[in-house]
Amino acid sequence: MAVRRRPSIPNQTAAPPNPDPGGDPQPPNAAPSLDQFSLAPPKLGLILSVLALFLIPFFYLLFVHYQVESDLRYYISICVALSLVGFVFTVGLIPVATRYLLRRNMFGYDINKRGTPQGEVKVPETLGIVTAIVFLVVAIVLQLCTLTADSDWLVEYNAALACICFMTLLGFVDDVLDVPWRVKLALPFFASLPLMMAYAGHTSIIIPKPLVPYVGLSVLDLGVIYKVYMILLVIFCTNSINIHAGLNGLEVGQTVVISFAVLIHNLMQIGASTDIDYKQAHAFSIYIMWPLLTTSLGLLAFNWYPSSVFVGDTYTYFAGMSLAVVGILGHFSETLLLFFLPQILNFLYSCPQLFGFVHCPRHRLPRFDTQTGLLTGTNDMNLVNLFLRLFGRCTEKSLCIRLLIFQALSCLMCFGLRYILAGWYK
Amino acid sequence: MVVRRRQSIPDQTVRSSELTPEKEGELSLAAPKLGLVLSILAMFLVPFFYFLFVRYRMEIEIHLRLSILVCVAISLCGFVASALLIPVAARYLLRRNLFGHDLNKRGTPQGATKVPEALGIVTGIVFLVVAVSVQLAVSFLQYNLTADSDWLVEYNAALACICFMILLGFVDDVLDVPWSVKLVLPLFAALPLVMAYAGHTSIVIPKHLVPFVGQSVLDLGWIYKVYMIMLVVFCTNSINIHAGINGLEVGQTVVISVAILIFNLIQIGASTDPDYKKAHVFSIYIMLPLLTTSLGLLAFNWYPSSIFVGDTYTYFAGMAMAVVGILGHFSETLLLFFLPQVLNFLYSCPQLFGIVPCPRHRLPRFDPQTGLLIGSSDMNLVNLFLRLFGQCTEKSLCIRLLIFQAFSCLLCFGLRSILAGWYK
Repeated sequence: MAVRRRPSIPNQTAAPPNPDPGGDPQPPNAAPSLDQFSLAPPKLGLILSVLALFLIPFFYLLFVHYQVESDLRYYISICVALSLVGFVFTVGLIPVATRYLLRRNMFGYDINKRGTPQGEVKVPETLGIVTAIVFLVVAIVLQLCTLTADSDWLVEYNAALACICFMTLLGFVDDVLDVPWRVKLALPFFASLPLMMAYAGHTSIIIPKPLVPYVGLSVLDLGVIYKVYMILLVIFCTNSINIHAGLNGLEVGQTVVISFAVLIHNLMQIGASTDIDYKQAHAFSIYIMWPLLTTSLGLLAFNWYPSSVFVGDTYTYFAGMSLAVVGILGHFSETLLLFFLPQILNFLYSCPQLFGFVHCPRHRLPRFDTQTGLLTGTNDMNLVNLFLRLFGRCTEKSLCIRLLIFQALSCLMCFGLRYILAGWYK
Repeated sequence: MVVRRRQSIPDQTVRSSELTPEKEGELSLAAPKLGLVLSILAMFLVPFFYFLFVRYRMEIEIHLRLSILVCVAISLCGFVASALLIPVAARYLLRRNLFGHDLNKRGTPQGATKVPEALGIVTGIVFLVVAVSVQLAVSFLQYNLTADSDWLVEYNAALACICFMILLGFVDDVLDVPWSVKLVLPLFAALPLVMAYAGHTSIVIPKHLVPFVGQSVLDLGWIYKVYMIMLVVFCTNSINIHAGINGLEVGQTVVISVAILIFNLIQIGASTDPDYKKAHVFSIYIMLPLLTTSLGLLAFNWYPSSIFVGDTYTYFAGMAMAVVGILGHFSETLLLFFLPQVLNFLYSCPQLFGIVPCPRHRLPRFDPQTGLLIGSSDMNLVNLFLRLFGQCTEKSLCIRLLIFQAFSCLLCFGLRSILAGWYK
């Protein structure tokens, strides 16, 4: 959901939005000259601490807690190393791309700062394209390092790449051309087609033990229905991240939290299992999640509050597709959905507005009070406003942190749930 | 090569909107030249179906024939989809200021019209959907290429490469990246192919060189992979520089892909090796959608162009053809079909490498009085033809260059049949 007013119609850019007499004297529709524009420095301190916070438990589990085979440990370490290189490239390329994007008038205004000087700044949009391209290059090079030419996983790997690349393409076309929202909803369907073609795994599900007497079988082969489920999962993951948005750093932040949870889950499954295929499925997921995590952190360095860049639908679709793809090809889509709990709640709560039963404004954002600098919840039916109504007004930054803590707690709860239920339902 | 002045600096945009007071959303494209394009399509389908149903009736089994027919049917749907979506996309592209001015009509009223750019994105996206749909449809028939795991890897790698190239090409069209970056983009897009290529990396030494080399088959190993990357970089950029005339980029792609398709069919009919046949079937599954979606684009891009195709198209087309040449194992034949592009590249080298001064656009001069193009001293085929054969209109120049392309392909068919016994 585009939550920043996009000045895409040329004559609208001519309308001066700035009532503040101390604002920018330049006419609003002149692009900033390339020398004048300078991006705020990235919040590297924050990002590097987050990264360290991830690396410590990850390497602990990989090298200390679990007896993982040495070649798998080697490949995973290479994966982490290459992903860190991707992080550096992302941070290096974003300022460069920003200049080009601004020159092509791809920017928006931060609606949550409207009325303050910051609300008049042209914030470059669609920086998700940098993240996605660096991700693709890292993922491709990683394939060279970790897979041999006759590996069974080459099929899945290339199908995953094709899907993620197609989704990035469609997301970028959407950001550039601003397609109608009905088309936007359908884009993930087309992007998931290569996955349908390549998916050669089992299409059966395991019936939870308590239900077996009723169903009559312990394993049910869904066939084509499973493929429909896959498509629905892709459409859900992409769009749910897109609508749980609107605050500086929320889209990238939720992706970072979920991908980290997925990585820990993958590692725990590798450590706890003895089935080669099962381990390979989770290793495959690690090889895709690490580049996603580090390139997203590179983006977050600029997108965290206060945002110097906006990520665009390119990023939310790219991230949603990557997560859906690993869930499907790694065969842990139920766990993935558990990690997506806040997104599911947000989607369910938003349904009345999304389906038109309740009036749905263009942006379902909170109200920003310029005097206090706080956000106030509106009656819109999404988690962002719900949190404001439940826990009171607060700044944009604390609201985002609260929502991300909720995301992290949901993931922790899901780890707990899996642990408790593991013997019970499977 | 960007041959249309790109309105990317906003103050220039203001000036150009003073020239052409078009209101938002009121873009009306000239009607597509469907008569021309449908005749080309018919001219192609006749020999294609002749080979498929008559000449090689015995050699091509019924399931394979059915699969190819299904591919033709879905590709024709892609043609219709392209033709329908281009006007829609053109409105959105124009709204985002993705347009250019036709430099070869400067001085006439047409030279002031804003022509939407980067319509190759429509062709690319429809191509991807068609290519995947063909595979999904064919998987229900017995001649299922992708049941074979090796081919599934290569097919997905091909899709990933072509998709990545379309993405990078479109990013280039939108952001207008520096040309040094532009040259390198195909290298990144070719990486999935290089990683996935599991075929033989050996070449067959021509018979009369065997005494000198000492072997009849030489395994090149990773050098072959470098060759693959160079082929991709060459195919994409060579189409990009053999451009500048309305309809030239799409036209050359159409001619070459027709040649490739006929070649594929002949090879399938003439061969008994199932792996060899699969390689050419794979190529058909990719070339047919390329041909039909490009024809949909040509309907609007043929002289006089209502839309421009952008680097998105030239990179996409070059990548698609390089991919089939590599994965279908006929890259030498592909290079023969690319003869005009090879000649254009060689002839352009002095300017490209800066030995001779190289202007921004190496276009002919347009004379608004006579409506003819006059060859400049730039070193490319476009100007060479004008200098050799005299001034002519843009349309006839394009037709001459495309006839040259077609003759080169015919020549190559001839060469292959003469040399087939001689050097292999």
